[in-house]
Amino acid sequence: MNRLEPTARPERATRVESDAEIEAIVAEAIATEAAQARREAAPPSSAIVWWRAQMRARREAAQAAGRPITIVHGLAIACFCGLALSLAGTLIAGVRGSAGWLANVYASLAGLAASLAAIDLTSRWVMLPMTAMLATIVIASIAAYVIFADE
Amino acid sequence: MTFTDVRRLELDADTADVALAMDEDAFRAFYDRTSGALWGYLSRISGDRQVADDLLQESYYRLLKSNTAFESENHRRNYLYRIATNLVRDSRRGRQPLFTDAEMTDVAAPESHVGYEGRADVRRALGRLKPRERAMLWLAYAQGSSHSEIADVLGLKTASIKLLLFRARRKLAAML
Repeated sequence: MNRLEPTARPERATRVESDAEIEAIVAEAIATEAAQARREAAPPSSAIVWWRAQMRARREAAQAAGRPITIVHGLAIACFCGLALSLAGTLIAGVRGSAGWLANVYASLAGLAASLAAIDLTSRWVMLPMTAMLATIVIASIAAYVIFADE
Repeated sequence: MTFTDVRRLELDADTADVALAMDEDAFRAFYDRTSGALWGYLSRISGDRQVADDLLQESYYRLLKSNTAFESENHRRNYLYRIATNLVRDSRRGRQPLFTDAEMTDVAAPESHVGYEGRADVRRALGRLKPRERAMLWLAYAQGSSHSEIADVLGLKTASIKLLLFRARRKLAAML
């Protein structure tokens, strides 16, 4: 007799007394339901699940590796902003402190330009230091490129 | 860590195999042995086939990412069921009860009238149990798990399983 048949309920209610009987009813009901669940089950293939797991693990690994660079970027931006603000504060204070500051700067720059115009560029005492400076700039640029583009 | 180190790590992550807890052959064999039963467990415990589909893959992924050393196939399977149970519990937070009358009668085409009614009855009765009771009964009678295995999966004490199972059985039987 099928224990799950609705019409059998009143009979069962009076018959169910021992735990063994209850266990048998429950075991049968759940076994039937489990068999039905197995028939309904249509899980994706193991190959698809494996492939998705691989893709997801790689993506998460890449995200985890990229996290430090984001922190470094954030710190650099914060440092730059702090530096810029402090410089701006200093400049503003300087401008307020001396009214003739801009005129002095202009006069200094004009004097400097006049001095530079008077220099003889063909003189070896000018050529040698300038060549050395240019060479340093070029070598430093190449070195920086080699260090940071080693991939 | 320099920028180039970080970039190299990213490239490695893109190209190389990532470290998972099992190799492909072992995983596929284990999956083929367990996925049908796990789907049944998830669908009956959550009461939602869509949730079961989603959580099935998530369960296996978390198993693959775990660093646990498994002593046996049973140990691995119990760990998988524990993950699945926790995922169902998490998915249920903030939601209405997942078993509705419509879902409970949403079964495949019945082979006979009696069989259909019987399954709907069992499903409806299961839906009225507490999630922990549902899981406990399913593990005991669908999976054939021992008390210690049930305790391991559900995070309970082994000594309390006998009594909890007894109560759950009586509750379900009264509703059938």
